[in-house]
Amino acid sequence: MKQQKTIKWIHTVWVTACAVLFLFPLLWMLSSSLKTGPEVFSLDFRWLPEVFQWENYVRIWTDSKVPFWRLYVNSLVISVVGTLGQLLISSMTGYALAKIDFQGKNAMFMAMMVTMMIPAQATIIPRYMMFYTIGIYDTLWALILPAFFNITSIFLLRQFYMGLPGELMDAARMDGGSHLQIWGRIMMPLTKPALVTVTVLSFINSWNEYLNALIFLPSNKNFTVSLGIQYWMQMTDEYNLMMAAAASAIVPIIVLFIFTQKYFVESIATTGVKG
Amino acid sequence: MRKISKRAQEENRAGWLFMTPAMIIFVILVAVPVVVSLLLSFTKWNFLSGLGGIEWVGMKNFTQIFTADRKFKMALVNTLIYALTVTPISIILALLFAYMINDKTHLRKFNRLCFFIPYISSMVALAAVFRFLFRSDGPINLLLTQVFHISAVPKWLTDTSLCRIPVICVMIYAGIGFSLIVYMAALQSVPKELYEAATMDGAASFRKFVSITLPMLSPTTFYLCIVRLIAAFKAFSAINIMGVSTSAPSLVTEIYGNAFNSYKFGYASAEAWVLVAVILTVTVFQFWGQKKWVHY
Repeated sequence: MKQQKTIKWIHTVWVTACAVLFLFPLLWMLSSSLKTGPEVFSLDFRWLPEVFQWENYVRIWTDSKVPFWRLYVNSLVISVVGTLGQLLISSMTGYALAKIDFQGKNAMFMAMMVTMMIPAQATIIPRYMMFYTIGIYDTLWALILPAFFNITSIFLLRQFYMGLPGELMDAARMDGGSHLQIWGRIMMPLTKPALVTVTVLSFINSWNEYLNALIFLPSNKNFTVSLGIQYWMQMTDEYNLMMAAAASAIVPIIVLFIFTQKYFVESIATTGVKG
Repeated sequence: MRKISKRAQEENRAGWLFMTPAMIIFVILVAVPVVVSLLLSFTKWNFLSGLGGIEWVGMKNFTQIFTADRKFKMALVNTLIYALTVTPISIILALLFAYMINDKTHLRKFNRLCFFIPYISSMVALAAVFRFLFRSDGPINLLLTQVFHISAVPKWLTDTSLCRIPVICVMIYAGIGFSLIVYMAALQSVPKELYEAATMDGAASFRKFVSITLPMLSPTTFYLCIVRLIAAFKAFSAINIMGVSTSAPSLVTEIYGNAFNSYKFGYASAEAWVLVAVILTVTVFQFWGQKKWVHY
């Protein structure tokens, strides 16, 4: 028994060492983001800088052309509005697909599932033409609108509604309640775990989006955090500033993740294992 | 009878009402673009020449892609290299780490978090960090010279034969977390009795891993291969941010370049559909394979 305990601790130390080693690139990023330019490439390597250079962060956050606070606001607007829209639409659609008997339901569901296989790269050129024509090219809407429709979220909520007992609903139907009332007052609150999962997945996706931002948001004032990092890489050779930009993009997502870890891990694990 | 049909009518109305928002966006942003993009792939069209400049060329784009376009061929080969290195390596590492973490150790949550952080981090930020790490005067080369005393250090990002390595590294790094979480969940569902029985028979732990864990996890492994393969085929951010999109392009960087740097919308659409065909093949393979290998 005692021997087993020792083995368990040896395993723990070894795995934890691997895990911490795995974070080295990110620790390197944090360390460099607080150094001076020459210190970054100094041959005499140290994890901690001589003096903590918080000015690096101040510089990129208050830059006159592309201040990071504005990138943050843009990314937040896109992620928050996109996520809210996705929640509402996925919830309504999921409810309809699971709990309402209407003609053409199965056909609709199949059509959506089929398009799930077609990658976004195949639709991006027509989207560009369309956004250009209707005037949302180079506005945040070009990234918000596509986030509203997410087939994975619809599917997730449909599955969740399917699992809810029909009795609650039947009773309300008897009392003459409409589907809108039943969905809004009775059923939707019960899907909270699924809604949290969708929120986290959608937020992280929107926050990290790059290709679409690159195509649809050309002007500085609409840059997102991802485009901000790219901007700093093109504008400067000062790696301490670039690393400050990269760290600014990653840290909030890690904080969000730590608070919602349970939901997030469960959702990936279940969708993952069950395919 | 009448009452039932009235009820059915109500259901129909409510159903479509609930579907409307999703339908509108689906039609505008998915269905119509898919059709338009398919049509565009048979045309020669520079976006800057306006709608009048569209010219129907039939299969010419596709014949050019497969016979004359050396850049496309290079992008295809590179994408295959990325997919066939990143997918197996990241899955094998994820399995090893998941097996090590799983119920044999303390600090499980902390360790899981460490491996998972890169997966939720912005690929753009990670690529920026790795571009820094792989600079010719960066920390990796510093390590090579100072610790291993190698004087002729490689120029990772500018040497055309090496520049795929940093891209592959960052893609593996970012991808491990996802597979790890899936494996950790799958390991929970392997019946403990199997291990107990094997221990009774005196099996060593390596033997148990090979004879119990690996076969029990095979459906998960298959699922991960498909999902990660599809993700790798769409590789773009890492390549673009690391500045190797001309020396080591992927299919998506090639499509992006033709579409939004040269505005060759017709040709780029055709290339995009070749990518779709590749991904669909893998997906169909998944559905086919699910029946054979995956047991729920």
